Amino acid sequence: MKQNSRVNKQKFTIGMKKKLVVLFVIVLLAFVGLGVRLILITKNNGEEYEKQVLSQQQYDSTTIPFRRGEIKDSNGTILAYSEKVYNVILDAKLLLRSDKYVDPTVNALVKYFKLDGGEIRNYLSEHPTSQYYTLAKKIEYDQVAPFQDLMTPGSDTYDENIQGVWFEDNYIRKYPNGTMACDVIGFTTSDNIGTYGLEEYYNDTLSGTLGREFGYLDEDSTLERTTIPATDGDSIVTTIDGNLQTIVEKYVKQYNDEHANKARQGNGANNIGCIMMDIHTGDILAMASYPNYDLNNPRDTSKLIGMPMVDEKGKLLVLENESVFDSGVYMTEEMIADFSDEETYRQLNALWKNYCISDTYEPGSVSKPFTTATGLEIGALSGNEHYNCNGSLEIGDWKIHCHNTYGDGDVSVERAIEISCNVALMHEAQAIGKENFTKFQRQFGFGLKTNIDLAGEFRTEGLTIAASNMTSTDLATNAFGQNYNCDMIEMITAFSSLINGGYYYEPHVVKKIVSSSGSTIKNIEPRVLRQTISPSTSEKIIQYCNKVVAGEEGTGKTARPAGYMIGGKTGTAQTLPRGNRQYVVSFMGYAPADHPDIAIYVVVDRPNVPMQDDAKNATWIVKRVLTEALPYLNYPMTEEISDKEQAELDEIRANMVTPTQPNQEDGAAAEDGNPDGENSEGEKAEGTSEEGKADEKKEDAEKQKKDKKEEKKDDTNIWESFDVDETTGYYIDPNTGNLVNPENGNEMGGDDLPDFTGAPTAEASEGKSSE
Amino acid sequence: MNRIRALRKPREESYIDYSLIFIILFLLAFGLVMVYSTSSYEANLDLGDSSYYFRHQMVSTIIGLAAMMIVSYIPYRFIAKFAFPIYIAAAVLLILVIPFGKRINGAKRWIYIMGMSVQPAEVAKFAVIVFSAVLIIKLRKNLMSPKGYMTALAFPALYSLMVYGITKNLSSAIIIMGITVVMLFISTPGYRRYVIAALSLFALVAVVVLIIANSEHSSGMNYRFERVLAWLDPKAHSSGKGFQTLQALYAIGSGGIFGKGLGESMQKMGFIPEAQNDMIFSVICEELGLFGAIAVMLMFLLLIWRLMIIANNAPDMLGALLVIGVMGHISIQVILNIAVVTNTIPNTGITLPFISYGGSAVIIQLAEIGLALNVARNIGR
Repeated sequence: MKQNSRVNKQKFTIGMKKKLVVLFVIVLLAFVGLGVRLILITKNNGEEYEKQVLSQQQYDSTTIPFRRGEIKDSNGTILAYSEKVYNVILDAKLLLRSDKYVDPTVNALVKYFKLDGGEIRNYLSEHPTSQYYTLAKKIEYDQVAPFQDLMTPGSDTYDENIQGVWFEDNYIRKYPNGTMACDVIGFTTSDNIGTYGLEEYYNDTLSGTLGREFGYLDEDSTLERTTIPATDGDSIVTTIDGNLQTIVEKYVKQYNDEHANKARQGNGANNIGCIMMDIHTGDILAMASYPNYDLNNPRDTSKLIGMPMVDEKGKLLVLENESVFDSGVYMTEEMIADFSDEETYRQLNALWKNYCISDTYEPGSVSKPFTTATGLEIGALSGNEHYNCNGSLEIGDWKIHCHNTYGDGDVSVERAIEISCNVALMHEAQAIGKENFTKFQRQFGFGLKTNIDLAGEFRTEGLTIAASNMTSTDLATNAFGQNYNCDMIEMITAFSSLINGGYYYEPHVVKKIVSSSGSTIKNIEPRVLRQTISPSTSEKIIQYCNKVVAGEEGTGKTARPAGYMIGGKTGTAQTLPRGNRQYVVSFMGYAPADHPDIAIYVVVDRPNVPMQDDAKNATWIVKRVLTEALPYLNYPMTEEISDKEQAELDEIRANMVTPTQPNQEDGAAAEDGNPDGENSEGEKAEGTSEEGKADEKKEDAEKQKKDKKEEKKDDTNIWESFDVDETTGYYIDPNTGNLVNPENGNEMGGDDLPDFTGAPTAEASEGKSSE
Repeated sequence: MNRIRALRKPREESYIDYSLIFIILFLLAFGLVMVYSTSSYEANLDLGDSSYYFRHQMVSTIIGLAAMMIVSYIPYRFIAKFAFPIYIAAAVLLILVIPFGKRINGAKRWIYIMGMSVQPAEVAKFAVIVFSAVLIIKLRKNLMSPKGYMTALAFPALYSLMVYGITKNLSSAIIIMGITVVMLFISTPGYRRYVIAALSLFALVAVVVLIIANSEHSSGMNYRFERVLAWLDPKAHSSGKGFQTLQALYAIGSGGIFGKGLGESMQKMGFIPEAQNDMIFSVICEELGLFGAIAVMLMFLLLIWRLMIIANNAPDMLGALLVIGVMGHISIQVILNIAVVTNTIPNTGITLPFISYGGSAVIIQLAEIGLALNVARNIGR
C-alpha cells in the first residue's frame, strides 16, 4: 500500500476499503451459506424432526396420585385409610448453584429427616447435574411440615439457603387396627393394587383416577399444557361391626393361645374360622380366622410360625414319610429362615387367604338340619317318623356306623338332630331320594359360589355329587355331611335361610359406597336370591336345633352362653385320608333361640388337642363370643343363671384371665353322668367309618361294640394296648375315656358332643366299584 | 459512499449513526423477548421465577447501553492511548480466574467483581480490538516484514492461549485470533498469504477430522474429539455430546417456514439444554420459522454493513481498524453461532451477540458498538 501516511494520523486507504468490501462479501457469502443450510434442514428433515419433537413431547407428562378410598365398619370406625406422605427429592443441580446453599441444606436434611449427611455430599459430588434423586420415601406430614417452613418465604424459620429440595406427593395405606379383620380387609401392594379381601374385590371402587399433568397438541399442532386433577377413590362402609369383630377375634386368639403347642408343636389349630351373620339381611357382622397377620406389615414372617406348611398348590403339605396321624408340618423360626423367597411367598399366600371363604372341608353333622329340612319340605318326612338305630346301617356294600355303635335305640326326627344320629339321617335320606336330595343341595347353595363381595371365594362347583353319579352310599354319607365339600360362607348362608323362614340372602360385607366428599353413591340392599324352604319347615328346624342346645341329650349344650337360649348344630367331620385321627370340628348356631336374628359359625380345623373329635373346641369359642356379643347387641337375658354359670360368667367377663378348661371339664363330667351317656360317648369316628372293604373290619367293629358295652371304665385298659401313647394325657378320666380303633385309626372319644363323620369319597367309590 | 459522505457534510459536527442505533436497539429488544420466551418455562420450573433470566438480562442490557453511551463520548484516540494498560488489565482479569474463578456447569470462566459475574474472555475481546488497532498503527512500516507481522499476531495469540489455557474456552480463543486476523487482513495488502493460510488450515482440519473419525474406538479421546464425532453423526451420540445439537436441529426442522408462533416452542421445555444461551437461534427458528431466522440474519448483515460504512468513512486508520475489529468480532460470532446451531461445525459454546443470555457478553458488545459510534461521530472531521 502506498499512501502518504503519518504516524499519528494514518489514512484508511482505497486498497483497505476494497479489502473491507471483500471481507463484507465473504461474510455475506457465509450468511447466505448458513441461510441455505437452514432452508435445507427445514425442507429435507422438517417433517421428520417435527414428528420427533412431538414424540419427545409425549413423555413429558407426570401423574398425580389419587387417594384410595377408606374402608369403614358399620359404625363408621375406620378400618383402612390412605395417608398422604411425601418423597423427599433432591435437585443437585439447583442446590449446587451456589456453595453457600450446600451446608445449610444438607444440615437441615440431616436434622429433619435423619439422613446421612455424608451420603448426600457424596451423591452431590458424584452427580452434580442430577435433578431428581429420591432421598427418602414416605415421610409423614408432621416431619415434612417444619422443613417446608424453612423453604417458605415469610414463615418464621425461612432460610433462603435451603435450596434444591422438593417433595413429591404420595399416599400410603394404613390399617389403624393392625391385624383386625385382616382376612376381610386385605391389603394393598405398593402400587395401590388391592390384594385379598375387600381391597381386591372393591379395588376399582376404592381406586380413584390418577391425575395427569400433560402436554397435548391442539388443532393447530401447538402444545397446550393441562393438569387433570386426580379423582380420589370412593370409600366403602362394611357390614362388619368392629366390636363384634373384636370380640370374635379375641376368643379365637384366646383359643389358639391356650391350645398352641399342646398336643403338637404349632398353632392351636390348623385353621380357626368364625363368621357372624345377620340372618335377615345376609350382612356379615364379623368374620375372622386364625392365623392372622398384620395388615400394616403383611410380609412379616413371624406370623407364619406355628402354621402348617403348604405345598406348591397351596394344599396342606404332607411328607411322604409322615404318619397319617400327623396333621401337618408346622413352621418354626428356623425353617422360615431357611426358606427360599418363593417358598416364603407360598406360605404367606396361605396366611393371607381367608379361611372362611377360601377353604373347603367336609362339613360333618352341621349339614344334618339341611337333610331333615329337605325331607320335611318335599313331604318325605312328616316330622313324626321314628327310626331304630342299632349302631350302624348297611348301605350298599358298606356298613356305615352311627357315632354310637351301641345304637341310639328309638330315634325321632327331632331326636336325630338333637343327638346327631347318623342312622336316622341315613334313613331320612333314603326317604328323600337322591334326586330330591341333590336338588335341594343346590337350592341351599352347596356347590355354588355365594358371590360374597370378597376376593378369593372358592369355587365349589364339582365338590358336591350330582344325582346321576350319586350312589346310595354317597346319599347316606351326604345326609350327615361327609363325602362332599363346602366352605364356611356357603354353610352359614344356607343355614341362615333355614332359620329365617327360608329366605336365601346373598351374603355381603359392604353395605354402602360413599364418595370422597361423603355423599352416598350406592346403598347395597339385602338381596333375596330364592326361597329355600317354607316358613313352616323353617320353624320345625328351629325347634329341632333348639333341642341340640336345650335338650337333655343335646350335643351342643356347651355352646350356650349363660342367661341365654340359643340353637344350633354341632359338627365333627373326618378328614382325608380316613383314619388319620384328624377332625374338623364346628358349631353352627343362632340366637336368640325363639326368633333367631344372628347366626354364628365356628370351625376349628384339626384342633391342637390329643383327641380332636370334640366339638367342644368349637362350642368353647361360640359360647364366649355370644356371652359377650349378645348383651352388646341388646338382647336381654331370658334364662336363669345357676351359681355355676354365674361363676363361669364372671370368669368370662373378667376377660378369661384364667384358663377355662376346668369349667369345661366340669360340664363334661356332668353330662357324662347322664344315663344316656352312651350317646355322648359314641364312637363317632368308628361309627362313621366305612368298612366295606374287609370283613375283618366288621368283626373288629363288633368286637369294639362288645368292649364298649362291657363297661366304659374298662376302656382305658382295653385300648391302652393300641395307640395309647398318642393319647395318654387325656386318659385320666375314665368317664371321658378316649378310645382308639386301631383298625381304621378312628378315635372313640367319650365326650358330650357325639357328632361324627362319614365315608371318604374316594374310598367309598373305589370300594363300590371294586366289589 | 461518496453520496453518503456528501449528504453528511452539512452536519459534520456531530454525526450520529441512527440506523446503527436502531438496529442495535431492535436486536436488543428482540433478544430480550427471545430470552424470556426460551427461559421462562425452565426458570419457572427450576427457580420458581419465570422472569429470572429476563430480569438479569434486562439489567445487563441497561448497563450495556450506559457503557455504549459512555464509550461513544470518550474520543477513541484518547482510549487508544490506554491500549497497553487495557491489554494488561484484561490479562490480569484472565489470570484472576485461576484463584477466584467461579465454576458453572463444570467450566471455570467467571469471576465476581462487586457481586457481578464477569467473564474475562469477553473483556479480552474488547481489549484485543483496541490493542491490535494501536499495535497495527504503531507497526505500520514494519507490518510487512515477517517479524512485524509475527509481533502483531503474538500479543493477541498470548490472549488466546490464556483464554484457552485458563478457561478452557476454545471458541473465545478462536474469536480473539479471528478478530486479529481480520484486522491484519484489512491492513496488509495482498490476498495470497491469506488464501494459502485459509487453505492449509482447511486441509489441516480435514485431516484431523478424518483421523478422529477413523479412530472412533480409541478410548483416549478427549471431550472435544467426541464433539467432533457428535458433529459427524449427531444421532449416534444423541444421548451424549450430540444431544444439544440434535435437539437444536429438531427445533429448526419443526419450525417450518413461519414457525409455531412466538412462545410456542416445545423444544425449550427441557429438551434443548440452556436454550437461552448458545442455542437461542434454534428456538428462534422453531418459534418464528425460516422467515424469522432469516430476518434476524438480515438484521445482523445490516449491522455489519453499517459497521463497514463507518469503517470506510472513518477519519483515520485507527478509527477504521477499531470498527473493523468490532465488525470482525460480531461477524465471526454470528456466523459461528449459527453454524453450530445448524451443525455446520462441531458444537462449541458461542453465543449469538445481543440476543443470547449473558451479562458480560452483552455489556462488552454494546461497549464495542459504543466504540463504533464514537468513530462515526468523527466522520468528516
